[in-house]
Amino acid sequence: MSSPLPQSRVRVQRIAEAAVERARLSVVPRLRTRTPRVPFVTLVSLLLVAGVVGLLMFNTNMQQNSFAATDLEQQASELTAREQGLQMELEELRAPQRLAEEAQRYGMVPAMNPAFIKLQDGKVIGNPIPASAADAYDVRPPEARKPKALDPDPVIIKVKRKTAAERRAEAKRNNGSGRNDSSTTSQGDGSTR
Amino acid sequence: MSLRPQTTRAPARGSALFRLRFGFVVIAMVLSAFGARLLQLQGIDPHAYAAMAAREGVQTVDLPAARGAIVDRNGVELASTVDGLRIIADPQMTEENAGPIASYLSQELGIDYFATLGRLRKDDTRYQYIARRVPSTKARRVVDALEEKGYKGLTTERDPMRDYPADDIAANLIGFLGEDEALAGFERTFDKQLSGVDGETTYEVGGGNRIPLGTNNTVKPVDGQDLQLTIERDVQFFTQRVLREAVRGAKADSGTAIAMNVETGEILADADYPSYNANEPLESPKRNLGSRATSDPYEPGSVEKVLTFASLIDAGKITPRTPITVPPVLESQGAPIHDHWDHETIHLTAAGALSKSSNIGTALSARQFTPEQLHAYLTAFGLGQRTNIGVRGESGGRLPDPSTWGQLGQDNIAFGQGLSVNAVQMAAAVNTIANGGIHVDPNIIKGSAVTDDGTKVGTSTSTTRRVVSEDAARQTSEMMELVTDPVDGIAPTSAITGYRVAGKTGTAQRVGKECACYDGTFTVSFGGFAPADAPRFTVYVVIQNPRNGQGGGAAAGPVFRKVMTYLLRKYGVAPTGTSPTTLPVEW
Repeated sequence: MSSPLPQSRVRVQRIAEAAVERARLSVVPRLRTRTPRVPFVTLVSLLLVAGVVGLLMFNTNMQQNSFAATDLEQQASELTAREQGLQMELEELRAPQRLAEEAQRYGMVPAMNPAFIKLQDGKVIGNPIPASAADAYDVRPPEARKPKALDPDPVIIKVKRKTAAERRAEAKRNNGSGRNDSSTTSQGDGSTR
Repeated sequence: MSLRPQTTRAPARGSALFRLRFGFVVIAMVLSAFGARLLQLQGIDPHAYAAMAAREGVQTVDLPAARGAIVDRNGVELASTVDGLRIIADPQMTEENAGPIASYLSQELGIDYFATLGRLRKDDTRYQYIARRVPSTKARRVVDALEEKGYKGLTTERDPMRDYPADDIAANLIGFLGEDEALAGFERTFDKQLSGVDGETTYEVGGGNRIPLGTNNTVKPVDGQDLQLTIERDVQFFTQRVLREAVRGAKADSGTAIAMNVETGEILADADYPSYNANEPLESPKRNLGSRATSDPYEPGSVEKVLTFASLIDAGKITPRTPITVPPVLESQGAPIHDHWDHETIHLTAAGALSKSSNIGTALSARQFTPEQLHAYLTAFGLGQRTNIGVRGESGGRLPDPSTWGQLGQDNIAFGQGLSVNAVQMAAAVNTIANGGIHVDPNIIKGSAVTDDGTKVGTSTSTTRRVVSEDAARQTSEMMELVTDPVDGIAPTSAITGYRVAGKTGTAQRVGKECACYDGTFTVSFGGFAPADAPRFTVYVVIQNPRNGQGGGAAAGPVFRKVMTYLLRKYGVAPTGTSPTTLPVEW
């Protein structure tokens, strides 16, 4: 490999030594720069892990929100129900029926002789007469008529008047055994009806 | 190094080809198995599998439209929808503890113990209604309490319920709902407007929670619209209570009272008795659930004389001072007509004939009309035609054809017998006099609404027409003032101290249901308005079949006075301060 070189060197030297010198090729040692693998792997794995963890967190978060939404919805509906319950209570309290009953309890009656005062001159228009108890009206609803089964006619049992001798004999008997006897007999009467 | 692969390459190449073919065959077999399965899933019965998948995790929930409220003229709710819940049992879980659960439920909710027990033990089902339309706070409390005791298997579902906060106030008009449909009154007539359109939503669930990115289809519900009435709740309440007192006091069958705004024809109160509690409609007999004010026609009696006299004055036939010689009995086609009191021949003015309610005087005056003329006037007053205010089951009453009247018929109709009216019609007719001779269509719906038979009703569709001249109306009103005169009038109990009140009593013979003849019972009524010289309100009261012998003045007059006083006070109408009429009664 090295033997022909001196010859050519001599010849060329004559022509343009400097140029030849410059153009001379030589084998250089292969430059093997080993790029460090670690940062790249780290980056990729970081990206991967971040992606997976992010997705997971995003999903979990969404699930959490969904739970929270369900909870809040339930709470909202509970509160709505409560509000409506209270509203109903309020309506009941301000119902004219209740107010009228309450007013009547305080002895109030509707004014049946309206009169007006003119604010400009204090003149009274109309004929003011104090209200009286006669102006009251029937606020309470009539009592419901009970069906016959719940409101039976009274059962009248006729008992023969005892003679003086019998009464005395009974009194004697009762003195011995006390009240219990008489109460059981009266209960017996009730159940047979 | 390089020689070894060369020696092994030849046999390997052949086996590779073999392996490739073998691999293809395997893949083809697997793929065709997939294909077959695909065909089975998608080609043969796709819907069953789709449904199965849906059942697994997709939930469809109805979104019930909120039903519109029925409100009074000030927006106070007379009927409203509140959140209710239905309680559902899963019998497979409740079966073993059915006894204690049923006894607790029947105690708390007032439901039948044995029916509940049966439902809690039912076989082959996992869904049983236990109670419907329970107020939600109550339902939750009950279900939670049972869960705490260790009894599982009860759940709740949404079930909106209708509440009538004022119980029986205007119940006859408003009506009520059944389990799933509107059954009576405005609830039914305007159901389309009130109910709205239900929506529904479909979504995937997992573990009781909605899956965030799952399928989700929602059709939003369209809520129903409110219905506003011209009724004023407090006036309605007072009218109903006063009417009830009067009907019960007179031991009568039923009664109706109507209060109207003179100028607009808006009905402020339309009371019926007997009424019912709209929250418990089943507790009352069916005959009490409708509105008698429009559904029960009756013969109006003497209140109708007002219309006859107004017509006569308008036609120029009489004036309030026209002298009439009233004989003790008037012969009419062979039948005698009497007055409600015995008298010799008396000399009444037209005003006297009206204020003393003389049948003979009225009939004699009305003989100046042909039947057609009187018929035309009465028709213009609105008699014989339905008012179409939007209340269900209205009967228009009956005004016979004039060709069939004859002398007796005309005489009778002149003082209010032989024709029938409903109370709203009659109130509107009397209101015509109050409104200076202009008839305003009565109204009970504010704005406008469409009934279930397609009729448009409401204040915005209201029309007016002139029936008699303003002068005739004023003169009639003056004649009516004599009725409530505290000294000479026949209905002093209707007078309101300090005010000029125009009114007219009526006592009519009633036609019995069975015999279709006058059966000796009466309809008493009172119609009038105040202040007489600048009317603001018309009140008309009818009481059917009083059994204590009272006439219109005594039975219905006090109701008129109380309701009218209430209205004048509530709306701050001061007395006009003018001096009352001085029309002569006799000559």
